[in-house]
Amino acid sequence: MRRPTCLPVAVLLFLPVVLSAQTIQNATLRRAQQSFENLDYRQALSSAHASLRERLTGYERARAYELLGFTYSGMDSILKAVDAFKQVVLIEPERDLDPNRTSPKALSAFQVALTQILVIRQLRVDSVQFIGGEGNVPIRYTVTQPSRVVTRVSGGPLSSMRIDSTVANGQVNIRWPARLPSGDPVPPGNYNVVVEASVGQNTFSTSQSIRVSHGSVDTLPHLTSLPGYTYLPETEVPPKSWRPMGLALVYTGVALAGTSALSNGDLGSPSLREGTVIGLGIVAAGFVMTLKKPAPQPARGNILYNQLLREQIARRNTEIAQENTRRRQQVALSVVPLPRAGGGR
Amino acid sequence: MRAGPIAVAAAALALVPTYPLAAQHFSIGPQVAFGDYRETTSDLHYRGGGVGAKASVVWKKFSADVWLSKVKYKPEGGTATTDFDASEVDVQLRYYISGPFSAELGFMNRKADPEFEAQSMGAVTAGAQMSHLLGPGVRMALDGGLMFGPKFSGGGSISALGAVRLGLGLTVDALHGRLRVTGDYEFQSVSRTTDDGSGSISAPIQQSLGRVGFAIAF
Repeated sequence: MRRPTCLPVAVLLFLPVVLSAQTIQNATLRRAQQSFENLDYRQALSSAHASLRERLTGYERARAYELLGFTYSGMDSILKAVDAFKQVVLIEPERDLDPNRTSPKALSAFQVALTQILVIRQLRVDSVQFIGGEGNVPIRYTVTQPSRVVTRVSGGPLSSMRIDSTVANGQVNIRWPARLPSGDPVPPGNYNVVVEASVGQNTFSTSQSIRVSHGSVDTLPHLTSLPGYTYLPETEVPPKSWRPMGLALVYTGVALAGTSALSNGDLGSPSLREGTVIGLGIVAAGFVMTLKKPAPQPARGNILYNQLLREQIARRNTEIAQENTRRRQQVALSVVPLPRAGGGR
Repeated sequence: MRAGPIAVAAAALALVPTYPLAAQHFSIGPQVAFGDYRETTSDLHYRGGGVGAKASVVWKKFSADVWLSKVKYKPEGGTATTDFDASEVDVQLRYYISGPFSAELGFMNRKADPEFEAQSMGAVTAGAQMSHLLGPGVRMALDGGLMFGPKFSGGGSISALGAVRLGLGLTVDALHGRLRVTGDYEFQSVSRTTDDGSGSISAPIQQSLGRVGFAIAF
Protein backbone atom coordinates (compact mmCIF):
# COMPACT_ATOMS: atom_id res chain seq x y z
CA MET A 1 0.00 0.00 0.00
CA ARG A 2 1.32 3.39 -0.96
CA ARG A 3 1.81 5.80 1.83
CA PRO A 4 0.12 9.14 1.27
CA THR A 5 2.40 12.06 0.53
CA CYS A 6 0.42 14.78 2.24
CA LEU A 7 -0.13 13.16 5.55
CA PRO A 8 -0.51 16.30 7.67
CA VAL A 9 -3.24 17.53 5.36
CA ALA A 10 -5.02 14.20 5.47
CA VAL A 11 -4.96 14.17 9.23
CA LEU A 12 -6.46 17.64 9.32
CA LEU A 13 -9.19 16.61 6.91
CA PHE A 14 -10.05 13.48 8.87
CA LEU A 15 -9.84 15.19 12.25
CA PRO A 16 -13.57 16.00 12.48
CA VAL A 17 -14.37 12.35 12.03
CA VAL A 18 -11.99 11.42 14.76
CA LEU A 19 -13.37 14.09 17.05
CA SER A 20 -16.87 12.85 16.46
CA ALA A 21 -15.90 9.51 17.95
CA GLN A 22 -15.55 10.87 21.42
CA THR A 23 -18.43 8.81 22.75
CA ILE A 24 -16.91 5.55 21.54
CA GLN A 25 -16.48 3.16 24.46
CA ASN A 26 -14.87 0.20 22.75
CA ALA A 27 -11.16 0.18 23.56
CA THR A 28 -10.07 -1.52 20.34
CA LEU A 29 -11.92 1.00 18.24
CA ARG A 30 -10.42 3.80 20.23
CA ARG A 31 -7.00 2.36 19.62
CA ALA A 32 -7.76 2.27 15.94
CA GLN A 33 -8.73 5.90 16.01
CA GLN A 34 -5.59 6.77 17.90
CA SER A 35 -3.52 4.95 15.31
CA PHE A 36 -5.34 6.79 12.52
CA GLU A 37 -4.62 10.10 14.19
CA ASN A 38 -1.00 9.07 14.46
CA LEU A 39 -1.05 8.27 10.75
CA ASP A 40 -0.31 4.66 11.53
CA TYR A 41 -2.73 3.38 8.94
CA ARG A 42 -1.60 -0.21 9.12
CA GLN A 43 -2.26 -0.34 12.84
CA ALA A 44 -5.49 1.59 12.34
CA LEU A 45 -6.72 -0.99 9.84
CA SER A 46 -5.73 -3.86 12.07
CA SER A 47 -7.42 -2.38 15.13
CA ALA A 48 -10.54 -1.38 13.21
CA HIS A 49 -10.98 -4.86 11.78
CA ALA A 50 -10.36 -6.31 15.25
CA SER A 51 -12.99 -4.05 16.77
CA LEU A 52 -15.57 -5.22 14.23
CA ARG A 53 -15.16 -8.73 15.57
CA GLU A 54 -16.08 -7.46 19.01
CA ARG A 55 -19.45 -6.47 20.42
CA LEU A 56 -20.16 -2.92 19.21
CA THR A 57 -23.11 -0.64 19.28
CA GLY A 58 -24.57 0.40 15.97
CA TYR A 59 -22.98 3.79 16.30
CA GLU A 60 -19.56 2.25 17.08
CA ARG A 61 -19.91 -0.19 14.20
CA ALA A 62 -20.66 2.67 11.82
CA ARG A 63 -17.68 4.61 13.16
CA ALA A 64 -15.44 1.54 12.70
CA TYR A 65 -16.44 1.20 9.05
CA GLU A 66 -16.13 4.92 8.55
CA LEU A 67 -12.62 4.78 9.99
CA LEU A 68 -11.84 1.96 7.60
CA GLY A 69 -13.21 4.03 4.72
CA PHE A 70 -11.11 7.02 5.59
CA THR A 71 -8.03 4.88 6.12
CA TYR A 72 -8.45 3.03 2.84
CA SER A 73 -9.07 6.35 1.09
CA GLY A 74 -5.89 7.70 2.61
CA MET A 75 -4.08 4.61 1.41
CA ASP A 76 -5.65 4.96 -2.09
CA SER A 77 -7.47 1.64 -1.73
CA ILE A 78 -10.62 3.08 -3.21
CA LEU A 79 -12.53 -0.18 -3.71
CA LYS A 80 -12.04 -1.14 -0.10
CA ALA A 81 -12.92 2.36 0.97
CA VAL A 82 -16.14 2.14 -1.05
CA ASP A 83 -16.99 -1.19 0.57
CA ALA A 84 -16.41 0.29 4.00
CA PHE A 85 -18.55 3.35 3.25
CA LYS A 86 -21.32 1.10 1.91
CA GLN A 87 -21.43 -0.54 5.33
CA VAL A 88 -21.60 2.90 6.93
CA VAL A 89 -24.56 3.90 4.78
CA LEU A 90 -26.37 0.65 5.39
CA ILE A 91 -26.03 1.17 9.14
CA GLU A 92 -26.72 4.92 9.04
CA PRO A 93 -28.50 5.78 5.80
CA GLU A 94 -28.69 9.45 6.77
CA ARG A 95 -24.95 9.70 7.26
CA ASP A 96 -23.32 12.46 5.23
CA LEU A 97 -19.77 13.67 5.05
CA ASP A 98 -18.98 17.33 5.36
CA PRO A 99 -17.49 18.25 1.97
CA ASN A 100 -15.54 21.11 3.55
CA ARG A 101 -13.81 18.93 6.06
CA THR A 102 -13.41 15.66 4.21
CA SER A 103 -10.73 14.70 1.70
CA PRO A 104 -11.88 14.51 -1.91
CA LYS A 105 -10.81 10.89 -2.10
CA ALA A 106 -12.99 9.91 0.84
CA LEU A 107 -15.88 11.99 -0.52
CA SER A 108 -15.56 10.34 -3.90
CA ALA A 109 -15.48 6.90 -2.35
CA PHE A 110 -18.52 7.78 -0.24
CA GLN A 111 -20.47 8.97 -3.29
CA VAL A 112 -19.57 5.81 -5.18
CA ALA A 113 -20.73 3.76 -2.20
CA LEU A 114 -24.08 5.58 -2.25
CA THR A 115 -24.67 4.68 -5.88
CA GLN A 116 -23.93 1.02 -5.28
CA ILE A 117 -26.50 0.38 -2.61
CA LEU A 118 -30.22 1.06 -2.46
CA VAL A 119 -31.18 3.37 0.34
CA ILE A 120 -33.66 6.12 0.85
CA ARG A 121 -32.16 9.08 2.57
CA GLN A 122 -33.29 12.42 3.87
CA LEU A 123 -36.98 11.60 4.06
CA ARG A 124 -38.51 14.90 5.14
CA VAL A 125 -42.09 15.86 5.84
CA ASP A 126 -42.50 19.61 6.28
CA SER A 127 -44.64 21.13 8.97
CA VAL A 128 -47.62 22.62 7.27
CA GLN A 129 -51.04 23.97 8.03
CA PHE A 130 -53.78 24.34 5.44
CA ILE A 131 -57.48 24.06 4.86
CA GLY A 132 -58.54 20.55 4.04
CA GLY A 133 -58.78 20.11 0.30
CA GLU A 134 -56.92 23.32 -0.45
CA GLY A 135 -53.34 22.39 0.33
CA ASN A 136 -50.74 19.65 0.34
CA VAL A 137 -48.18 18.14 2.64
CA PRO A 138 -44.71 18.41 1.05
CA ILE A 139 -42.75 15.15 1.28
CA ARG A 140 -39.28 14.71 -0.16
CA TYR A 141 -36.60 12.06 -0.07
CA THR A 142 -33.55 10.90 -1.97
CA VAL A 143 -33.25 7.45 -3.43
CA THR A 144 -29.72 6.38 -4.28
CA GLN A 145 -30.45 4.00 -7.12
CA PRO A 146 -33.05 3.92 -9.88
CA SER A 147 -35.87 1.94 -8.32
CA ARG A 148 -39.59 1.61 -7.90
CA VAL A 149 -40.49 3.77 -4.91
CA VAL A 150 -43.84 3.46 -3.21
CA THR A 151 -44.92 5.99 -0.61
CA ARG A 152 -47.63 5.02 1.84
CA VAL A 153 -49.28 6.51 4.86
CA SER A 154 -50.20 4.15 7.63
CA GLY A 155 -51.32 4.29 11.21
CA GLY A 156 -54.14 6.09 12.93
CA PRO A 157 -57.52 5.01 11.67
CA LEU A 158 -55.95 4.16 8.30
CA SER A 159 -54.61 0.70 7.62
CA SER A 160 -52.39 1.76 4.78
CA MET A 161 -52.95 4.22 1.99
CA ARG A 162 -50.68 4.50 -1.00
CA ILE A 163 -50.08 8.09 -1.89
CA ASP A 164 -47.40 7.77 -4.57
CA SER A 165 -45.65 5.20 -6.68
CA THR A 166 -42.88 6.09 -9.07
CA VAL A 167 -39.63 4.96 -10.59
CA ALA A 168 -37.11 7.42 -9.37
CA ASN A 169 -33.48 8.15 -8.76
CA GLY A 170 -32.14 11.05 -6.78
CA GLN A 171 -34.31 13.57 -5.02
CA VAL A 172 -38.05 13.07 -5.22
CA ASN A 173 -40.68 15.63 -4.18
CA ILE A 174 -44.25 14.59 -3.72
CA ARG A 175 -47.28 16.46 -2.43
CA TRP A 176 -49.86 14.68 -0.35
CA PRO A 177 -53.28 16.37 -0.10
CA ALA A 178 -53.98 14.56 3.21
CA ARG A 179 -57.35 13.36 1.96
CA LEU A 180 -59.03 10.01 2.11
CA PRO A 181 -60.17 8.32 -1.09
CA SER A 182 -63.63 9.68 -0.30
CA GLY A 183 -62.25 13.19 -0.43
CA ASP A 184 -62.58 13.85 3.28
CA PRO A 185 -59.57 15.11 5.20
CA VAL A 186 -57.63 12.38 7.01
CA PRO A 187 -58.79 12.06 10.62
CA PRO A 188 -56.57 13.48 13.34
CA GLY A 189 -53.94 11.15 14.75
CA ASN A 190 -50.38 9.91 14.42
CA TYR A 191 -49.36 8.42 11.08
CA ASN A 192 -46.27 7.01 9.47
CA VAL A 193 -45.11 8.10 6.05
CA VAL A 194 -43.42 4.96 4.76
CA VAL A 195 -41.23 5.06 1.67
CA GLU A 196 -40.28 1.71 0.18
CA ALA A 197 -37.83 1.34 -2.66
CA SER A 198 -37.22 -1.88 -4.53
CA VAL A 199 -35.02 -2.88 -7.42
CA GLY A 200 -34.66 -6.58 -8.16
CA GLN A 201 -34.11 -8.40 -4.91
CA ASN A 202 -32.99 -5.27 -3.12
CA THR A 203 -35.48 -3.38 -1.05
CA PHE A 204 -35.21 -0.57 1.37
CA SER A 205 -37.78 1.28 3.39
CA THR A 206 -37.76 4.16 5.74
CA SER A 207 -40.46 6.04 7.54
CA GLN A 208 -41.26 9.34 9.18
CA SER A 209 -43.89 9.75 11.85
CA ILE A 210 -46.25 12.67 11.57
CA ARG A 211 -49.08 14.02 13.65
CA VAL A 212 -52.22 15.25 11.93
CA SER A 213 -54.49 17.48 13.95
CA HIS A 214 -57.71 19.22 13.07
CA GLY A 215 -58.73 22.76 13.85
CA SER A 216 -61.44 25.16 12.88
CA VAL A 217 -60.84 27.47 9.98
CA ASP A 218 -60.65 31.12 10.88
CA THR A 219 -63.59 33.12 9.63
CA LEU A 220 -63.19 36.56 8.18
CA PRO A 221 -64.53 39.64 9.98
CA HIS A 222 -67.05 41.78 8.17
CA LEU A 223 -65.82 45.03 6.78
CA THR A 224 -66.93 48.42 7.92
CA SER A 225 -64.53 50.19 5.63
CA LEU A 226 -62.14 49.43 2.84
CA PRO A 227 -58.48 49.94 3.70
CA GLY A 228 -57.26 53.14 2.15
CA TYR A 229 -60.74 54.41 1.38
CA THR A 230 -62.70 56.68 3.70
CA TYR A 231 -66.13 58.17 3.35
CA LEU A 232 -66.22 61.74 2.13
CA PRO A 233 -68.58 64.38 3.56
CA GLU A 234 -71.80 64.32 1.58
CA THR A 235 -72.40 68.00 2.06
CA GLU A 236 -70.08 70.91 1.68
CA VAL A 237 -70.47 74.47 2.84
CA PRO A 238 -70.24 76.83 -0.12
CA PRO A 239 -68.32 80.06 0.30
CA LYS A 240 -70.25 82.99 1.72
CA SER A 241 -71.90 85.07 -1.00
CA TRP A 242 -74.38 87.85 -1.60
CA ARG A 243 -76.55 85.52 -3.62
CA PRO A 244 -79.39 85.27 -1.01
CA MET A 245 -79.60 89.06 -0.76
CA GLY A 246 -79.47 89.40 -4.52
CA LEU A 247 -82.17 86.80 -5.04
CA ALA A 248 -84.37 88.43 -2.42
CA LEU A 249 -84.02 91.82 -4.12
CA VAL A 250 -84.73 90.32 -7.53
CA TYR A 251 -87.83 88.46 -6.33
CA THR A 252 -89.14 91.48 -4.48
CA GLY A 253 -88.37 93.78 -7.38
CA VAL A 254 -90.09 91.48 -9.84
CA ALA A 255 -93.17 91.26 -7.61
CA LEU A 256 -93.42 95.01 -7.12
CA ALA A 257 -92.65 95.80 -10.74
CA GLY A 258 -95.18 93.20 -11.80
CA THR A 259 -97.76 94.75 -9.57
CA SER A 260 -97.18 98.15 -11.12
CA ALA A 261 -97.13 96.77 -14.64
CA LEU A 262 -100.23 94.66 -14.29
CA SER A 263 -102.35 97.18 -12.42
CA ASN A 264 -105.17 98.78 -14.29
CA GLY A 265 -104.65 102.47 -15.00
CA ASP A 266 -108.35 103.25 -14.49
CA LEU A 267 -107.98 102.30 -10.81
CA GLY A 268 -105.29 104.82 -10.02
CA SER A 269 -101.81 104.13 -8.81
CA PRO A 270 -101.47 100.60 -7.50
CA SER A 271 -101.07 99.85 -3.83
CA LEU A 272 -97.57 98.60 -3.14
CA ARG A 273 -98.06 98.51 0.60
CA GLU A 274 -98.82 94.80 0.83
CA GLY A 275 -96.08 93.77 -1.58
CA THR A 276 -93.57 96.02 0.12
CA VAL A 277 -94.28 94.54 3.55
CA ILE A 278 -93.73 91.00 2.33
CA GLY A 279 -90.84 92.10 0.09
CA LEU A 280 -89.09 93.78 3.00
CA GLY A 281 -89.43 90.57 4.95
CA ILE A 282 -87.83 88.67 2.09
CA VAL A 283 -85.02 91.20 1.71
CA ALA A 284 -84.39 91.09 5.44
CA ALA A 285 -84.29 87.30 5.32
CA GLY A 286 -81.93 87.46 2.35
CA PHE A 287 -79.69 89.90 4.19
CA VAL A 288 -79.56 87.68 7.26
CA MET A 289 -78.85 84.63 5.12
CA THR A 290 -76.05 86.52 3.40
CA LEU A 291 -74.44 87.22 6.75
CA LYS A 292 -75.04 83.70 8.04
CA LYS A 293 -72.88 80.75 7.29
CA PRO A 294 -74.28 79.24 4.09
CA ALA A 295 -76.26 76.06 4.32
CA PRO A 296 -74.33 72.90 3.50
CA GLN A 297 -75.03 71.82 -0.04
CA PRO A 298 -75.06 68.20 -1.20
CA ALA A 299 -71.73 67.29 -2.74
CA ARG A 300 -72.84 65.15 -5.66
CA GLY A 301 -69.42 63.73 -6.40
CA ASN A 302 -68.89 62.74 -2.80
CA ILE A 303 -72.37 61.25 -2.57
CA LEU A 304 -71.71 59.08 -5.62
CA TYR A 305 -68.30 58.12 -4.27
CA ASN A 306 -69.78 57.14 -0.90
CA GLN A 307 -72.52 55.20 -2.65
CA LEU A 308 -69.92 53.28 -4.63
CA LEU A 309 -67.92 52.67 -1.47
CA ARG A 310 -70.99 51.41 0.37
CA GLU A 311 -71.86 49.12 -2.52
CA GLN A 312 -68.31 47.78 -2.61
CA ILE A 313 -68.32 47.11 1.14
CA ALA A 314 -71.75 45.49 0.96
CA ARG A 315 -70.63 43.31 -1.97
CA ARG A 316 -67.43 42.35 -0.16
CA ASN A 317 -69.37 41.56 3.02
CA THR A 318 -71.71 39.36 1.04
CA GLU A 319 -68.70 37.52 -0.32
CA ILE A 320 -67.23 37.29 3.18
CA ALA A 321 -70.50 35.88 4.53
CA GLN A 322 -70.51 33.24 1.80
CA GLU A 323 -66.84 32.52 2.41
CA ASN A 324 -67.44 32.21 6.16
CA THR A 325 -70.35 29.83 5.57
CA ARG A 326 -68.01 27.71 3.48
CA ARG A 327 -65.18 27.97 6.00
CA ARG A 328 -67.39 26.83 8.87
CA GLN A 329 -67.84 23.57 6.98
CA GLN A 330 -64.08 23.16 6.48
CA VAL A 331 -61.27 21.74 8.60
CA ALA A 332 -57.86 23.27 9.16
CA LEU A 333 -55.31 20.47 8.90
CA SER A 334 -52.05 20.76 10.77
CA VAL A 335 -49.30 18.30 9.94
CA VAL A 336 -46.21 18.13 12.13
CA PRO A 337 -43.34 15.63 11.75
CA LEU A 338 -42.48 13.74 14.90
CA PRO A 339 -38.92 12.94 16.01
CA ARG A 340 -37.54 9.92 14.16
CA ALA A 341 -37.31 6.67 16.04
CA GLY A 342 -34.74 5.03 13.78
CA GLY A 343 -33.37 4.65 10.29
CA GLY A 344 -34.38 2.45 7.43
CA ARG A 345 -33.51 -1.11 6.68
CA MET B 1 -121.24 85.22 2.24
CA ARG B 2 -121.13 85.34 6.02
CA ALA B 3 -117.98 85.42 8.08
CA GLY B 4 -119.01 82.41 10.10
CA PRO B 5 -117.94 79.56 7.81
CA ILE B 6 -114.52 81.08 7.14
CA ALA B 7 -113.82 81.54 10.82
CA VAL B 8 -115.03 78.04 11.61
CA ALA B 9 -112.89 76.58 8.85
CA ALA B 10 -109.84 78.54 10.01
CA ALA B 11 -110.38 77.42 13.57
CA ALA B 12 -110.90 73.83 12.48
CA LEU B 13 -107.69 73.86 10.47
CA ALA B 14 -105.80 75.36 13.36
CA LEU B 15 -107.05 72.63 15.68
CA VAL B 16 -106.19 69.66 13.46
CA PRO B 17 -104.55 67.05 15.70
CA THR B 18 -100.81 66.79 15.45
CA TYR B 19 -100.42 63.33 13.98
CA PRO B 20 -97.35 62.45 11.94
CA LEU B 21 -97.77 62.29 8.21
CA ALA B 22 -95.45 59.72 6.81
CA ALA B 23 -93.24 60.80 3.91
CA GLN B 24 -94.78 64.21 3.69
CA HIS B 25 -94.58 67.61 5.31
CA PHE B 26 -97.63 69.34 6.53
CA SER B 27 -98.05 72.70 8.19
CA ILE B 28 -100.97 74.79 9.25
CA GLY B 29 -101.39 78.05 11.10
CA PRO B 30 -103.15 81.40 11.40
CA GLN B 31 -102.33 84.57 9.52
CA VAL B 32 -103.05 88.25 9.72
CA ALA B 33 -104.34 89.61 6.43
CA PHE B 34 -104.31 93.15 5.10
CA GLY B 35 -105.35 94.29 1.69
CA ASP B 36 -106.23 96.93 -0.82
CA TYR B 37 -109.29 96.53 -3.06
CA ARG B 38 -110.32 98.66 -6.02
CA GLU B 39 -113.16 98.23 -8.42
CA THR B 40 -114.32 99.96 -11.59
CA THR B 41 -112.76 103.37 -10.87
CA SER B 42 -110.23 104.83 -8.51
CA ASP B 43 -113.14 106.18 -6.47
CA LEU B 44 -114.08 102.70 -5.28
CA HIS B 45 -111.03 102.16 -3.16
CA TYR B 46 -110.99 100.08 0.01
CA ARG B 47 -108.38 99.08 2.51
CA GLY B 48 -108.68 96.74 5.43
CA GLY B 49 -107.41 93.98 7.60
CA GLY B 50 -108.56 90.69 8.92
CA VAL B 51 -107.61 87.16 9.78
CA GLY B 52 -106.79 84.09 7.81
CA ALA B 53 -105.16 80.72 7.85
CA LYS B 54 -102.78 78.84 5.68
CA ALA B 55 -102.22 75.14 5.26
CA SER B 56 -99.46 73.58 3.22
CA VAL B 57 -98.58 70.04 2.35
CA VAL B 58 -95.65 68.61 0.43
CA TRP B 59 -95.63 65.06 -0.91
CA LYS B 60 -92.93 63.89 -3.25
CA LYS B 61 -93.05 66.26 -6.23
CA PHE B 62 -96.48 67.58 -5.31
CA SER B 63 -97.30 70.41 -3.00
CA ALA B 64 -100.39 72.38 -2.16
CA ASP B 65 -101.20 75.61 -0.38
CA VAL B 66 -104.63 76.59 0.87
CA TRP B 67 -105.37 80.09 2.12
CA LEU B 68 -108.49 81.21 3.86
CA SER B 69 -108.94 84.86 4.74
CA LYS B 70 -111.55 87.29 5.80
CA VAL B 71 -110.72 90.96 5.35
CA LYS B 72 -112.92 93.79 6.45
CA TYR B 73 -112.55 96.47 3.78
CA LYS B 74 -113.29 100.06 4.57
CA PRO B 75 -113.64 102.86 2.05
CA GLU B 76 -110.42 104.79 1.48
CA GLY B 77 -111.68 108.17 0.25
CA GLY B 78 -113.60 108.32 -3.01
CA THR B 79 -117.27 107.73 -3.34
CA ALA B 80 -117.54 104.48 -1.41
CA THR B 81 -119.27 104.81 1.91
CA THR B 82 -120.04 101.29 3.09
CA ASP B 83 -117.68 98.69 4.52
CA PHE B 84 -117.78 95.14 3.27
CA ASP B 85 -116.18 91.85 4.24
CA ALA B 86 -114.24 89.85 1.63
CA SER B 87 -114.01 86.14 2.42
CA GLU B 88 -111.54 84.45 0.14
CA VAL B 89 -110.36 80.92 -0.49
CA ASP B 90 -107.25 80.33 -2.55
CA VAL B 91 -106.04 76.87 -3.43
CA GLN B 92 -102.84 76.21 -5.35
CA LEU B 93 -101.66 72.73 -6.34
CA ARG B 94 -98.12 72.45 -7.61
CA TYR B 95 -96.00 69.90 -9.36
CA TYR B 96 -92.26 70.29 -9.24
CA ILE B 97 -90.74 70.35 -12.71
CA SER B 98 -87.06 71.15 -12.53
CA GLY B 99 -84.62 73.53 -10.90
CA PRO B 100 -86.62 76.20 -9.11
CA PHE B 101 -89.71 75.76 -11.29
CA SER B 102 -93.06 74.20 -10.48
CA ALA B 103 -96.33 74.24 -12.36
CA GLU B 104 -99.41 75.56 -10.58
CA LEU B 105 -103.09 74.85 -10.89
CA GLY B 106 -105.79 76.03 -8.54
CA PHE B 107 -108.79 78.14 -7.96
CA MET B 108 -109.88 81.20 -6.02
CA ASN B 109 -113.20 82.31 -4.68
CA ARG B 110 -113.97 85.59 -3.03
CA LYS B 111 -117.33 86.58 -1.65
CA ALA B 112 -118.32 90.07 -0.62
CA ASP B 113 -120.70 90.76 2.19
CA PRO B 114 -122.95 92.78 1.79
CA GLU B 115 -123.33 91.16 -1.55
CA PHE B 116 -123.81 94.29 -3.62
CA GLU B 117 -121.03 96.40 -2.13
CA ALA B 118 -118.34 94.62 -4.16
CA GLN B 119 -118.01 91.90 -6.73
CA SER B 120 -117.90 88.33 -5.61
CA MET B 121 -115.85 86.23 -8.01
CA GLY B 122 -114.39 82.86 -8.59
CA ALA B 123 -111.88 81.58 -11.13
CA VAL B 124 -109.56 78.74 -12.00
CA THR B 125 -105.92 79.69 -11.83
CA ALA B 126 -102.95 78.28 -13.70
CA GLY B 127 -99.37 79.40 -13.75
CA ALA B 128 -95.90 78.69 -12.55
CA GLN B 129 -93.89 79.14 -9.43
CA MET B 130 -90.21 79.84 -9.00
CA SER B 131 -88.80 79.00 -5.60
CA HIS B 132 -85.38 79.47 -4.05
CA LEU B 133 -83.79 78.46 -0.81
CA LEU B 134 -82.17 81.55 0.63
CA GLY B 135 -80.54 79.65 3.44
CA PRO B 136 -81.21 76.87 5.91
CA GLY B 137 -84.97 76.81 6.42
CA VAL B 138 -85.61 80.05 4.54
CA ARG B 139 -87.48 79.72 1.27
CA MET B 140 -88.99 82.36 -0.95
CA ALA B 141 -91.23 81.90 -3.92
CA LEU B 142 -92.47 84.02 -6.77
CA ASP B 143 -95.46 82.83 -8.70
CA GLY B 144 -97.73 84.13 -11.37
CA GLY B 145 -100.42 83.02 -13.70
CA LEU B 146 -103.73 83.60 -15.33
CA MET B 147 -107.23 83.29 -13.97
CA PHE B 148 -109.51 81.43 -16.30
CA GLY B 149 -113.29 81.43 -16.52
CA PRO B 150 -113.98 83.98 -13.86
CA LYS B 151 -117.52 84.35 -12.65
CA PHE B 152 -118.70 87.60 -11.14
CA SER B 153 -121.75 88.19 -8.98
CA GLY B 154 -122.50 91.30 -11.01
CA GLY B 155 -121.85 89.68 -14.35
CA GLY B 156 -119.28 90.72 -16.84
CA SER B 157 -116.55 89.06 -18.79
CA ILE B 158 -112.86 89.30 -19.50
CA SER B 159 -110.59 88.73 -22.44
CA ALA B 160 -108.41 85.63 -22.64
CA LEU B 161 -105.51 87.28 -20.83
CA GLY B 162 -107.65 89.71 -18.89
CA ALA B 163 -107.17 88.27 -15.40
CA VAL B 164 -103.73 87.82 -13.96
CA ARG B 165 -102.35 87.10 -10.57
CA LEU B 166 -98.94 87.52 -9.05
CA GLY B 167 -97.65 86.15 -5.76
CA LEU B 168 -94.66 86.45 -3.53
CA GLY B 169 -94.09 84.19 -0.55
CA LEU B 170 -91.66 83.60 2.26
CA THR B 171 -91.37 80.80 4.81
CA VAL B 172 -88.84 80.79 7.62
CA ASP B 173 -88.39 77.66 9.69
CA ALA B 174 -87.87 78.09 13.39
CA LEU B 175 -87.61 75.75 16.37
CA HIS B 176 -85.92 73.09 14.26
CA GLY B 177 -88.62 73.24 11.65
CA ARG B 178 -91.51 72.77 14.05
CA LEU B 179 -92.62 76.36 13.67
CA ARG B 180 -92.78 78.22 10.40
CA VAL B 181 -93.15 81.97 9.92
CA THR B 182 -95.11 82.68 6.76
CA GLY B 183 -95.58 85.78 4.65
CA ASP B 184 -97.54 85.87 1.42
CA TYR B 185 -98.41 88.57 -1.01
CA GLU B 186 -100.97 88.17 -3.77
CA PHE B 187 -101.96 90.64 -6.40
CA GLN B 188 -105.00 90.10 -8.63
CA SER B 189 -105.90 92.26 -11.56
CA VAL B 190 -109.03 91.51 -13.53
CA SER B 191 -109.83 93.58 -16.62
CA ARG B 192 -113.54 93.01 -16.46
CA THR B 193 -116.00 94.54 -18.85
CA THR B 194 -119.73 94.76 -18.53
CA ASP B 195 -122.44 95.49 -21.04
CA ASP B 196 -125.78 96.90 -19.87
CA GLY B 197 -127.06 97.20 -23.40
CA SER B 198 -125.45 100.55 -24.07
CA GLY B 199 -122.11 99.07 -24.97
CA SER B 200 -119.11 97.54 -23.33
CA ILE B 201 -117.99 99.29 -20.15
CA SER B 202 -114.70 98.68 -18.40
CA ALA B 203 -115.19 97.61 -14.81
CA PRO B 204 -111.80 96.35 -13.62
CA ILE B 205 -111.21 94.70 -10.25
CA GLN B 206 -107.88 94.78 -8.46
CA GLN B 207 -106.81 93.45 -5.10
CA SER B 208 -103.51 93.43 -3.27
CA LEU B 209 -103.52 91.08 -0.32
CA GLY B 210 -100.77 90.57 2.21
CA ARG B 211 -100.77 87.77 4.77
CA VAL B 212 -98.35 87.29 7.63
CA GLY B 213 -98.55 84.53 10.17
CA PHE B 214 -97.02 81.38 11.50
CA ALA B 215 -97.67 77.70 11.08
CA ILE B 216 -96.97 74.57 13.00
CA ALA B 217 -95.19 71.98 10.94
CA PHE B 218 -95.72 68.25 11.33
